Amino acid sequence: MGPCHGRVALVTGSSRGLGRVIAQKLSEAGADLVLNYRKAGGRSEAQARALAKELVERGSRAVAIQADISQKDAVATMFQEIAAQYGRLDILVLNAARAPFKKVGELLRRDLLELVENNYFSNVYCMQQALPLMQGRPGHVVFVSSLGSRFALPSYPLGSMKAAMEALVKQWAVELQDRQITVNGVTAGLLKTDSLMVLRQYWPGVERLPASAFVDLQDVAGVVLFLCTDAARSIRGQNIVVDNGLSNELLHPASAG
Amino acid sequence: MAESLISPDQIYREVQKAIADALQISEQKVEPDSSLIRDLAAESLDFIDINFRLEQRFNVEMPRKYFLEHVEELFGEGTAIDESGRLTEAAVTIWNARLGSAGPRVHAGMPLDDVPALVTPRTLVMIVGEILATCPATCPSCGKAAWAVADGSPITCGGCGAHAPLLAGDDVIRRWLEDFRARGGSVSRAS
Repeated sequence: MGPCHGRVALVTGSSRGLGRVIAQKLSEAGADLVLNYRKAGGRSEAQARALAKELVERGSRAVAIQADISQKDAVATMFQEIAAQYGRLDILVLNAARAPFKKVGELLRRDLLELVENNYFSNVYCMQQALPLMQGRPGHVVFVSSLGSRFALPSYPLGSMKAAMEALVKQWAVELQDRQITVNGVTAGLLKTDSLMVLRQYWPGVERLPASAFVDLQDVAGVVLFLCTDAARSIRGQNIVVDNGLSNELLHPASAG
Repeated sequence: MAESLISPDQIYREVQKAIADALQISEQKVEPDSSLIRDLAAESLDFIDINFRLEQRFNVEMPRKYFLEHVEELFGEGTAIDESGRLTEAAVTIWNARLGSAGPRVHAGMPLDDVPALVTPRTLVMIVGEILATCPATCPSCGKAAWAVADGSPITCGGCGAHAPLLAGDDVIRRWLEDFRARGGSVSRAS
């Protein structure tokens, strides 16, 4: 029996990329899954539904729920559905992100709103809605962050939102100390996901970096999973860097030029 | 001229292929006026994938920003998109000036979020064509006027082998907007 057997887990933005791998990992560990995707009618809906079907065929419970989590009402509706389907929530993985890729000087007011609504408000909405469903049992919240919270990356204002959320992780962990709910962050390094397509447009050559510069999706998901188990119940308010060592060195001679 | 080295038909075939490969669909499904979003279920990350494939193929840099974002950067926020995220009259005017009557239509009050759905293979062909058209008459490295295109390759100098220096997609749009302004075109906030 897996360490998450009988637990219900929501992973936001889990139709593809890292969110998808985290959802698969939690499912393998025995959790019942709520997959979330933003947009109805697109490819991500098809991908989320296909994953839900795949997990169900393997004997887990899984549902895919559409919700644009930047919208408070949409988050409330999603949690009503989770309550109706499962009646509880034990694990919340805040993975979804969406941001303009622009220099700070080029950010319009609309871009700023997009940043905070999709990467800060959204996560707070989810946490607030999740708490009543986590009542009376141990619970785990994991926020998926990136090295952009600590380092400047080209055209990556999302990093500032990641930093804000990492600070919130600590704040929230303290507030929930007495409720047996852990809140932690996992700060991922460079990942080979769809998002790399974005990065390579703003950071020419990123796709030619040596393999050692990247961290395996499975390795990041593995740490997220660990933080969602009882074994990690004393880790609280931490942001754990999982980057295959990328951020340990200021200079990377092998990748220069 | 360099742009005639690669015909719109050739660009179209490459656009069709890039879309089909990125979305993992058959090329037959891609028609010149298919909406990438509405008809082919593309999402924002897919656009980036498609652009990247075209960049590799033609050695160009596709625009990172939408036309109306450039309008707002140049003429000021609120000029093309109002507070509620909808297109202004001025946005419609400048849109029509740029795309002409053959381009996809917009109207005042249309949500900005609906604009990406107007992108079709035809629009991408236009963008690639505009960038290729920025190729100078002669090679800046060797001075020869000997641009050539081997099958499936970017424009290269027949004299020295250098890739053609092409303007980036965002610069093409910015240059058009600056010309528009120089011609007396203006975009101002509705009072």
